[in-house]
Amino acid sequence: MTTDRSRRDRPRALPVPALLLASVAVAFFSLPLLGLLWRAPWSALRTVLGRPEVRTALRLSLQTSLLAALISVVFGVPLAWLLARVEFPGRSIVRALATLSMVLPPVVGGVALFASFGRRGLFGQYLDRWFGIRLPFTTAGVVVAQAFVAMPFLVLTVEAAIRQLDGRVEEAARTLGAGRWYTFSRVTLPSIRTALVAGAVLAWARALGEFGATITFAGNFPGRTQTLPLATYLALETDPDEAILIALLLIAVSFGVLVGLRDRWLGAAVPGRSKQVPS
Amino acid sequence: MSLEVDAHVRRGDFELDVQLSVKPGELLAVLGPNGAGKSTLLRVLAGLAPIDGGHITLDDTVLDAPDEGRFVPPERRPIGVVFQDYLLFDHLDARDNVAFGLRTTGLGRVEARRRAEELLAQVGLAEFARRRPKELSGGQAQRVALARALARQPRALLLDEPLAALDVGTRRRVRRDLRRHLDGFDGVRLLVTHDPLDVYALADRVAIVDGGRVVQSGTVAEITAHPRSRYVADLVGTNLVAGQIGPAGLVAASGAQLAVTADFSGPAFAVVRPQSITLSHHVPETSARNVFVGIVDDVDRLGERARIGIEIADASGGPLHLTAEITVRALDELALRAGDPVVATMKATDIEAYPA
Repeated sequence: MTTDRSRRDRPRALPVPALLLASVAVAFFSLPLLGLLWRAPWSALRTVLGRPEVRTALRLSLQTSLLAALISVVFGVPLAWLLARVEFPGRSIVRALATLSMVLPPVVGGVALFASFGRRGLFGQYLDRWFGIRLPFTTAGVVVAQAFVAMPFLVLTVEAAIRQLDGRVEEAARTLGAGRWYTFSRVTLPSIRTALVAGAVLAWARALGEFGATITFAGNFPGRTQTLPLATYLALETDPDEAILIALLLIAVSFGVLVGLRDRWLGAAVPGRSKQVPS
Repeated sequence: MSLEVDAHVRRGDFELDVQLSVKPGELLAVLGPNGAGKSTLLRVLAGLAPIDGGHITLDDTVLDAPDEGRFVPPERRPIGVVFQDYLLFDHLDARDNVAFGLRTTGLGRVEARRRAEELLAQVGLAEFARRRPKELSGGQAQRVALARALARQPRALLLDEPLAALDVGTRRRVRRDLRRHLDGFDGVRLLVTHDPLDVYALADRVAIVDGGRVVQSGTVAEITAHPRSRYVADLVGTNLVAGQIGPAGLVAASGAQLAVTADFSGPAFAVVRPQSITLSHHVPETSARNVFVGIVDDVDRLGERARIGIEIADASGGPLHLTAEITVRALDELALRAGDPVVATMKATDIEAYPA
């Protein structure tokens, strides 16, 4: 009996060290969740979730995060395409700028947004004076803050996917009479749709959980800028039981979407996890 | 009515400087080693890269002329391309791959698909219309690529190494099929390849490209009979000696002398066919004018025949390397192995000399 054969006969043999370390990781992620579930005052569930301010915060969170994700797609996909396909001077600087808000503490992002788009900010004063647009402490401000921290997730994911795409396939489309836009929409986009969905979901999840930039730039006004994470934080100071229930609501929404999409979408195209050629 | 090319392209250290002309209905093969500039040539013809100087003209339409500031982008050139590896769209089935080029002209989906099905039927793939590229064999993918390239009824068809992606077993059959399908296209056809077998099977004319330049062009028969470079001689499997014709015959740059029959003098090439070289252990008594003692440096058995490389240290004044072809039975009788001494004999009348 060859070694190959015996290996095939024992497909269930798992690498023990990896299994142990991975178990620690799983415990690390699941224990806080268990803690929440254990501490949750289930009897108060209906009253807390029935409260108008909680429902409002949930609705506002869903609206703003979906809008932020949409904005990330509309502006982020062209940026990802440029970064992946067009050689231009300063490309690495643009890429660094586009991902900066991902590594910044969100509060710093909020302060930066305030300095530029606040009523007295570098651009904010003209937005106010010329167009009457005020972003700080408005729902629009929430969306801006969320998009600011969420878009890099989409840009990175989509850029990685476009880079992995064989550029010659797009050239083949050009020789078949397809202009740049037709090629992008009929060849490039369908080929990266997995990554696009994954990037959009990551961006949406990041926007849904956004706290620091939102509270700094948009404040904490119920019904206007108080999203679920902000409501959780506020409740923690007054009624910890309520905070736990709101937190669970947030977790349920996020987890539901992630499970719904499963590995089919998320596993395929997260940056740095390529099936094909590592870039 | 033809494709006229005078292309100058500079890419870093590499320079392409190619002049070509292809008539409608003609199939020109551009043959050359890897890195010769074949792919660059194909890209500038398709419009995927611009030329830096010269012009590309198809049927009196200027496609690229930097001096006049003209450049027609690839999507507006009436040129179809069959790419190496075919580059089919993986997310579309065979029918939609072929229909792609029709849809870009604004044709509706239903009509484009109907036309695509016709085109697939023409290349014998009617029942494969709904297959994805990953579910097709290499030969089938190639035919889909061909149908896709021809769907827009281009006036020129470019083929980039159309058989290189196939395994050796299927290559011969696919090559024969390709020839049949190509015969049905009456526009300009240009094939880029590094395989001389493609040239023999498919081309009317051939241009040999090496180092970014056309080093020789002509009909396949002309090139085979009268190679003008070591590269071409090696491709067609013959011995080429370059030198000067003088009273003593052909004198190579190395000093080696060959007795040849020639009614001219000056710079010349001489072709010594491997089959016209006789090998023996001892110097024979013979009327042949060229009798050289050499050392076997390699033996290559090819079925019934064997090719024997012979290093001749002193061919009447200088070194000379020749390849002889004999039957395997003759090889076994002579029992030649690398390092053995051997006598090579060839008649002057068997050596063809022509002006360089």
